[in-house]
Amino acid sequence: MRIAWIAAVLEREVAELLRNRLLLLSILGPPIVIVLGPVLLGKLVAGRPLPAGLAASLVAGRPEWALLDPGDLAAAYSFQQFLLFFLMLPAFIPLSIATFSIIGEKQSRTLEAVLATPIRTGELLAGKAIAAAVPGIAGGLIAYLGFAGLVRALYGPALFAIVSAPDWLAATFLLGPAIALLSVVLGVLVSSRVNDPRTAQQVGAVIVVPLVGAVIAQAAGRFLVDATGYGLAAGAVLLIALAGLRAGSWLFAREAILTRWR
Amino acid sequence: MHPGPAWRPASTDARHQPTDARHPCPASAQRAWQTPPVNPSAPSSRDLAVRTEGLGRRFGERWAVRDLSLELRRGEVFGLLGPNGAGKTTTIRLLSALIGPSAGRAWVDGLDLVGEADGVRSRVGVLTEAPGLYEKLSAIRNLDFFGKLQGLPTAVRAERIERFLRLFDLWDRRHEPTGTFSKGMKQKLAIARALLHDPPVLFLDEPTAALDPEAAAVVRDAIATLRGQGRTIVLCTHVLPEAERLCDRIGFLRTTLLRVDTPARLRTGHADGRVHVRLAARAGPDLLAALRAAPGVAAVEAAPDGLVAELREAESDTPALVRALVAAGAAILEVRREAATLEDVYFEVMGAPADGEAAA
Repeated sequence: MRIAWIAAVLEREVAELLRNRLLLLSILGPPIVIVLGPVLLGKLVAGRPLPAGLAASLVAGRPEWALLDPGDLAAAYSFQQFLLFFLMLPAFIPLSIATFSIIGEKQSRTLEAVLATPIRTGELLAGKAIAAAVPGIAGGLIAYLGFAGLVRALYGPALFAIVSAPDWLAATFLLGPAIALLSVVLGVLVSSRVNDPRTAQQVGAVIVVPLVGAVIAQAAGRFLVDATGYGLAAGAVLLIALAGLRAGSWLFAREAILTRWR
Repeated sequence: MHPGPAWRPASTDARHQPTDARHPCPASAQRAWQTPPVNPSAPSSRDLAVRTEGLGRRFGERWAVRDLSLELRRGEVFGLLGPNGAGKTTTIRLLSALIGPSAGRAWVDGLDLVGEADGVRSRVGVLTEAPGLYEKLSAIRNLDFFGKLQGLPTAVRAERIERFLRLFDLWDRRHEPTGTFSKGMKQKLAIARALLHDPPVLFLDEPTAALDPEAAAVVRDAIATLRGQGRTIVLCTHVLPEAERLCDRIGFLRTTLLRVDTPARLRTGHADGRVHVRLAARAGPDLLAALRAAPGVAAVEAAPDGLVAELREAESDTPALVRALVAAGAAILEVRREAATLEDVYFEVMGAPADGEAAA
């Protein structure tokens, strides 16, 4: 792989992304909602203690939460629901960018001209993958850091300790990037077979089904995943992403791009 | 004279010279963006830019191109004619190392199509069927991106981008997104992209399609000048007069090459033995009778400005016809063989569409 060729693709992808207002809005909008949502919700529920049964269940799962007063426990509970929303950013943003990028190339029929140059398909796809994955990973991390900063400023050290605990760090710094990679792989695989970005995103959105399930289960107080759980999940997602990359490697051949990507 | 901007010759650096002429350059003098050295043992001679031996490509059970054997000399403009689905685009994709062959071998600028595909791609310029431009990006950014993919250094990119944008009259709109360009402007930009890395071999798939007459004239001038620089050009077109005017040789393709020759020989070979004789006076019955008795003359009929003779062998019987005319005292102004048009040849060669013809 030659860095100059990857950089050329990456630079062009970024230039196009910055000119696509719709895509930019869909990338920049959700992080703002996800940062402000839990902060505002925490203020709303802070004065309202949780039902006794739910509080007992939470403390049983997280003994360190027993030190929180009832108002902070309610806020911690509401924050915890949003942890998984932070994982949706690295799932959705790379998917959106990858599908728009590949289907955009198919629609404008630019791929043949690109592949007629000495660029290698690995370099082309690496440039595209980086352009899609980095905003997703960065979006998730920046949103998390913004959220943690607001919690520290508005709720104090006790709740900041909750949102900077190892489970949050493992989720955002390990599972998030792994999900972003899987999202890129799915985006490329799906985009190679369809010609409409929305269809590709709908198909690729299967990636968020497990996340939504986890959000619902956690909201119902069924379980709380700890740092080890997020670490293991990150490993599993990474393996699935690599397996997807390997299984779909035939799609990345120059000839397959020209003759099979319809 | 067309009113468009005149074609200005490109640089005459070593990359325009025949392959073997580049060999004396010391390896250390070669920069990264220059094309790789030619394998001297490759079967392409110094005069051949493209050579194919039984080249073929099939998709599933269908052959899109089959048994293509061809030799293109350096500096030659070769026209590839055929109906939609005849395999023209597949041929271009094969020869520009975009797809691999299912059968046969080929060399482009001395490089093996399969074993040295990266080298082939740096030596060919391809104008694809669709302009294939990034429409949100400006003309200058489009060319800059493709220049980077060709490995051109910044200064070389900048110089060539300006040269080609000025040449094709796009310089004033260089910062505008190409999505705002007309079809003709997009086509001109795509041609500029194909020329950006100064390739010795060019594949042009319908270069004047969608162009207005002025822009088409600029492109035709450009093709003529590129030929003069020693570049080899393969031109796919449906515009038969364009092929006749620009091409040194024309190949009729329908899955396989059906006929290859110069436009003149194709037309002459297709023509029957009709010879038109223009006379100073109307041909009378005596003259017509005398000619009918001449050797090789199958039939004679009067025409408003003279007569038309049907010869058994146009090439060998024309002198006998002229002798018979002179002997009969005819005042000859002109003797001209009636040539077929390229369109006549096209329909004669192509005939009816073949069954199961593969899509190109």
